[in-house]
Amino acid sequence: MRTKTKYTLGLLAALLLGAATPVWAAGPPAPSIFSNPLALTFIILMVLLLVIIGILANILIGAADVKLKKRKKASGLLASVLTGLLLLASPALFAQDAPAAAEATNTAAKTIAGMSASTFYILATVIFLELFIIIALLINIKFLLRNEKDKIAAETETAEEKANKLSWWDRFNALRPVTEEASLDLGHDYDGIRELNNRLPGWWLYGFYFCIAFAGVYMWRYHVSHTAPLSAQEYERSVVKADLALKEYLKSKGEAVDENTVKMMTGADDLAAGKAIFVKSCAACHLETGAGSVGPNLTDDYWLHGNDMKSIFKTIRYGINAMPPWQSSLNNKQIAQVSSYIKTLHGTNPPNQKPPQGNLMKEEAAPAAPAADTAQAKPVAKN
Amino acid sequence: MQVEKFYYDNKIVKAFGIATIVFGIVGMLAGLWAAIQIYYPAISLNLPATTFGRLRPLHTNAIIFAFVGNSIFTGVYYSLQRLCKARMFSDKLSWLHFWGWQAIIAAAAITLLMGVTTGKEYAELEWPIDIAITLIWVVFGINMFGTILKRRERHLYVAIWFYIATWVTVAMLHIVNSVEIPVTFLKSYSWYAGVQDALVQWWYGHNAVAFFLTTPVLGLMYYFLPKAANRPVYSYRLSIIHFWALIFIYIWAGPHHLLYTALPDWAQSLGTVFSVMLIAPSWGGMLNGLFTLRGAWDKVREEPVLKFMVVAITCYGMSTFEGPMLSLKNVNAISHFTDWTIAHVHIGGLGWNGFLAFAIIYYLLPKMWNTQLYSKKLATNHFWLGTIGIILYAVPMYWAGFEQASMWKQFTAEGQLKFQFLETVTNIIPMYVARSVGGLLYLTGALMMVYNVYKTVKQGSFIAEEAAEAPALVKEAPHKEYWHRVLERKPVTMLVLSLILVSIGGLVQMIPTFLVKSNVPTIASVKPYTPLELQGRDLYVKEGCYTCHSQMIRPFRDEVARYGEYSKAGEFVYDHPFQWGSKRTGPDLARIGGKYPDSWHYNHMYDPRSMSPGSVMPPYPWLLDKAIDTSNTAAKIRAMQTLGVPYPEGYDQQANRDLMKQAETIAANLKKDKIETAPNAQIVALIAYLQRVGTDIKLEPKPLAENK
Repeated sequence: MRTKTKYTLGLLAALLLGAATPVWAAGPPAPSIFSNPLALTFIILMVLLLVIIGILANILIGAADVKLKKRKKASGLLASVLTGLLLLASPALFAQDAPAAAEATNTAAKTIAGMSASTFYILATVIFLELFIIIALLINIKFLLRNEKDKIAAETETAEEKANKLSWWDRFNALRPVTEEASLDLGHDYDGIRELNNRLPGWWLYGFYFCIAFAGVYMWRYHVSHTAPLSAQEYERSVVKADLALKEYLKSKGEAVDENTVKMMTGADDLAAGKAIFVKSCAACHLETGAGSVGPNLTDDYWLHGNDMKSIFKTIRYGINAMPPWQSSLNNKQIAQVSSYIKTLHGTNPPNQKPPQGNLMKEEAAPAAPAADTAQAKPVAKN
Repeated sequence: MQVEKFYYDNKIVKAFGIATIVFGIVGMLAGLWAAIQIYYPAISLNLPATTFGRLRPLHTNAIIFAFVGNSIFTGVYYSLQRLCKARMFSDKLSWLHFWGWQAIIAAAAITLLMGVTTGKEYAELEWPIDIAITLIWVVFGINMFGTILKRRERHLYVAIWFYIATWVTVAMLHIVNSVEIPVTFLKSYSWYAGVQDALVQWWYGHNAVAFFLTTPVLGLMYYFLPKAANRPVYSYRLSIIHFWALIFIYIWAGPHHLLYTALPDWAQSLGTVFSVMLIAPSWGGMLNGLFTLRGAWDKVREEPVLKFMVVAITCYGMSTFEGPMLSLKNVNAISHFTDWTIAHVHIGGLGWNGFLAFAIIYYLLPKMWNTQLYSKKLATNHFWLGTIGIILYAVPMYWAGFEQASMWKQFTAEGQLKFQFLETVTNIIPMYVARSVGGLLYLTGALMMVYNVYKTVKQGSFIAEEAAEAPALVKEAPHKEYWHRVLERKPVTMLVLSLILVSIGGLVQMIPTFLVKSNVPTIASVKPYTPLELQGRDLYVKEGCYTCHSQMIRPFRDEVARYGEYSKAGEFVYDHPFQWGSKRTGPDLARIGGKYPDSWHYNHMYDPRSMSPGSVMPPYPWLLDKAIDTSNTAAKIRAMQTLGVPYPEGYDQQANRDLMKQAETIAANLKKDKIETAPNAQIVALIAYLQRVGTDIKLEPKPLAENK
């Protein structure tokens, strides 16, 4: 047994190494991975599986130990080989995790669930690999234990004693010993099928009663005493709660921008952000150049719903006719950014322009270059 | 007492068995094909027949009615004869049943791929096929009851109770849900509208699971498990309690498919509480299965038949516990409309139904061909491959469902939705890939079984007529018996009692929903569809849009922010059939009307990715070329009038003129956006419908008008 403790210690070391690996790999180089709930789930899963592998490996070694002793051979050899293998295995896992972290920092191009695609696939591969190892270990343990269990059982108990013994499981389910089966037999015979008349397990019966009571209480609360909210009330409450939270938030941030206070933004950052939103959300209908296709041309002098900053802001925020409202997908700052960007498109004269729609709305001293536009636009917005 | 000699008919069992295997493979292939389309749309081959919207109904119908259906008949025809100690009542009826059922399946496959559908899930088949199903079901019933009545066994075994309850309930469900008014040979409208249609449909849909995928299969378990394990059934008492409780409670649970919808709250609550009460009766079946194996677990290690059964029953236990949990409103708020539901049904479908069907096939082969199974090892490998397939299918789908739902619900601190709908879909594409791998493994296992079956049949010799003998039943002097034993002697009483028990739930839920006006508060501004919109709606149904798009905004803050005001019962009063849907692979469309310009829809149907990059929707280019069939407009209007839709008297004659007028307006509108289209193109009708959906309520100053 002393040898066994030794191997257990060795194993523990291997485990710790293995367990530490993914944490380390995901830690310092790419802290962003920690903030991703999915990645975190992955990593926790990885560690958990690794612990299971450790435990199973321990059992396997134990089983192998017993088996080897039975054969009266030196047990040290195999056990140390196994420990060595496990120690080897955990750096192998370690090696797989390291590139995952490296990838995460390098590639930002394609992401899956907020991780880079390669990180995702590598993490997933590691998990599947661990699953395979677990299955392999289980098969081996099963193989090693099968004969042993039978033999040990045969030595310690006679068949009858064994049959009469009730485990906690049997008692829990109100099961009678197999030897008493004859007394439970009802004597039915359907094409050779006999029927016993076992008592219903207590947990099942009382579980059933509990569910029926639950049903009564549920109906009472929702439809008699009205102490639980129906769907519509639940909705109203959630809206009130969210509105309160939003007010609190806005208060904490100071006055937020809206259509009454919005001003043309001229900062390069804001315009770049505006452009990004435009390309993502507006280009499908207005084209990337703003020349218009499904939606109207945004570069000419004709406007359906006004060309000043406040009007554009309002059109985007609340939508009008075919223009969808964006207030639920874009916040006011983002709407101000994209409105500002749209104003920079004026006069860029892109190819394939849609014919004019709406009223002629000349901007004072309409500039030719978009760079100058941003400088000149401010007074217009005040109109 | 005179012993009579007779023969069991194995030929009919063999025929149904072969059909089970063939349609199992077909159904699984259709499922795999549809699953791959979600991340690789090009595999639809751009053919109308093989787009997701038509393939998905084919998959569900093939698996439920062709694969599981034939497996039920295989098991029933084998076990019923032996449990009654009698040959089937009539060989002619047996074969009429067999060929009739296969013809229905063939007709279903063809019509579904053609886009002929009623638009009601698992009841998509059109009225001529519905009638055929009814007739064949009656044939099956006569044959089954005939056998039971001429039995040589005094009492009915629990398996037969389940067969009887199955037969009578499926008949009731099918007939009530299929009440529809034919317009043409292959087109009908559901008799019910909106909320009522939804209630009836999910009463049917839920109980198709209960009485087609559960009770008959429990009956099969009660025969094949004790036979295969050679162990007595664990508890007769449990059989009685769980049987009657199960059939009585199951029928009430339908509304749990409609939680947070426009269905009246009281009906939703009934769905929830009866689902919760269903846990114990369902688990009674599981316990009676697993505890029957007591003392036979060493055999499970050796015997693939028992292995399949153990996993099947375990999956049954898992999904019947999960079902009630999903019926709790707070869980359903997360799971509904996501892939969580898909994972749930596949634990039942792949695990419970599939594995039990495989177990029965492996059990019957050596018995009917008087030989050993060709390869036990191959069967064991099939078992493991199938099990891994189930896990690999279900885990990613659970994950996908949970993750998508949480993304839908997230708001930023400023009160904006954090994710656009499309982001929540593209985010879970890796899970879709993983689940199709799971499906592929499961299918591979089934193909291994096909080979094993072929080899076993080759090496054995088929026993078409199996000799048996039993004494005839003679009249007994009356004597005292346990009350249920008395019932077991009276199949007709049992049938009637079952029918009464299963009718109660449906009646209590339906009668008030149909008759009490406050359950569907009317909204004055909701008007019938124009003829063009009606034609467009029929195209929406035909293309199976409901398989991916719901039309039901639930009263959640995130759904109202994303889609608009939550759906009201009064909005759907002219919807024959309702199109609320059950899964959102695409966004909800209940308020799509007026959200985008006509030209957006035109471009989007032609190539979805041009308007919403990264979309997984298949393109529908044929809608741009094909013309609407206006020859049936008048008939459609008349049918709607019969159903109570208030078109003016004689409007059917004017309908096509109005239709063309509206079509030309839309065509002109598209022309402004540089799109040339024929006014009678199908796309124009579809645009008309989409632009109408959910807009009526906006014309009402106060949407929640007085209830009276």
